[in-house]
Amino acid sequence: MQNESAIDPKIFEEILKFSKNVMDAPKLVSAPDEISLEVTKHDVVQEMDKTRLLHYAPLTDKQHKTPLLISYALINRYHILDIHPEKSWVRNLLQQGFDVYMLDWGTPTSMDKYLDFDDYVNGYLDTYVEYIKNESSVEKISLQGYCTGATIATAYITLHPESVKNYIATAPVIDGWRDTTVISNLAKHMDVDKMVDVIGNMPPEFMYYCFSVLKPFEQGIEKYVNFFKNIENKKFVDSFLRVEKWLSDTPPIPGELFKQWIKDIYQDNLLIQNKMYVGNQLIDLKKITMPIFTQVAVGDHLVSPECSMPLHYAVGSEDKTLRMYPTGHVGMIASSLSQKKVLPELGKWLLERS
Amino acid sequence: MHLMASKPQALNSIGPMRAFASNSKKVSTELIEINEVLMGFNQYYTEYYKQLSDTWTDAQKKVNLKAPEVPHDVEQIEAFKRIWIDIFDNDFTELFDSEKFGENYGKLVSKELELTKHWNNITNVILQSVNLPSKEEIDEVYKEIHTLKKRVGKLELELKKKEMKKNAK
Repeated sequence: MQNESAIDPKIFEEILKFSKNVMDAPKLVSAPDEISLEVTKHDVVQEMDKTRLLHYAPLTDKQHKTPLLISYALINRYHILDIHPEKSWVRNLLQQGFDVYMLDWGTPTSMDKYLDFDDYVNGYLDTYVEYIKNESSVEKISLQGYCTGATIATAYITLHPESVKNYIATAPVIDGWRDTTVISNLAKHMDVDKMVDVIGNMPPEFMYYCFSVLKPFEQGIEKYVNFFKNIENKKFVDSFLRVEKWLSDTPPIPGELFKQWIKDIYQDNLLIQNKMYVGNQLIDLKKITMPIFTQVAVGDHLVSPECSMPLHYAVGSEDKTLRMYPTGHVGMIASSLSQKKVLPELGKWLLERS
Repeated sequence: MHLMASKPQALNSIGPMRAFASNSKKVSTELIEINEVLMGFNQYYTEYYKQLSDTWTDAQKKVNLKAPEVPHDVEQIEAFKRIWIDIFDNDFTELFDSEKFGENYGKLVSKELELTKHWNNITNVILQSVNLPSKEEIDEVYKEIHTLKKRVGKLELELKKKEMKKNAK
């Protein structure tokens, strides 16, 4: 029979050390306001309503001719693609000699509740693509869409193929019925008409709820236990806080856009069936004929691979590549794996076509 | 009948007090309806917490089966924590991914929205009583601005195309 003396005294040491770390945290950790998520130097070159076009300063003497525009997701802000100098998606592409632009969708207010897919695809995105074409004196640009930003970008390239030379779809939200995530389950049962009618824009609080049901114990307990255990590791703490700050900054999604997204993608699954309309124009994925590079994360619990991969098979492009990476939704764009594996592969693919 | 009954009633109401009486009636109706919605809300709310609670109990049973021994050193605690988190994450993800959870949660949110709608209606009555625009009226303005912006955008694009054609000549 075991008694109290059988308990390893190291357990008490660990508990005491952990308690000390918790107590010391306020002295060792910066306040969220002190952390700047603006890592790589850029200029705001164009603004439209609340959206902005960012142009990053080059990091190489010579740049490839075709500029790249990144259409970031509608959830959270674009900062995750430039979250840390050592994990920055943008910086890596700049170091590879690409001319990088970023679309910041901004923070919509109640006044923007009637913005829809048409405004985002044929309004904002098209205006910025035209601006880049003029500035760079090129007829076509390369376009990358991430997550829901890829849904918008995919609709765009079917309607404006003449403006896009290469398309990169990173964890695109395409086939809602095949999506196996918790998010898709909630979306399928949502009375989105009532939601938009009553509250207008999709509120950030609802998005926070959706995040909280994704691996709730790993993300809600283990993550913070690790944080306090590593409280003296400055590099770890800095990286952790940057991601936390990014996670807590979720803008609302315009009501009409959200309504169409939930209905057409998750509930009726129109996009993959080539039945979705944007601004009275049919989105026919077979019309996509430019080179396309689809990036999928095997462990993605926000957009499952089954939801993204159908794009690869639905497009009419002959030059198409599908890559799967052993990581998650954020890991694919902001991790050491993305720096060592994902970005070099993307850079090589893009360089051959730029 | 209603119109007839309201005429004698109007005799003893003076000026704005007439509006106050009618507003009170609207607010009372909304409050009664809120109570009805609350009953439905409570039903789905109870089911929501029952599902969470049942899943927690089942997950804990699985943990007890897989790790019956009390951990005695740091490594064992780490291993126990891993088992606990893995089982709880798996079971709760299974719940959140299930039809029964999605359906109940959808209905719960729907009832919450109905409650908000009634609250909006009450607020609208108050706003109108002090001559301020209601939510619907503000929405109309937003919609109009949105339509106008779209029209201006299209006109600007057409103008740009015409200018480009002109310059090309």
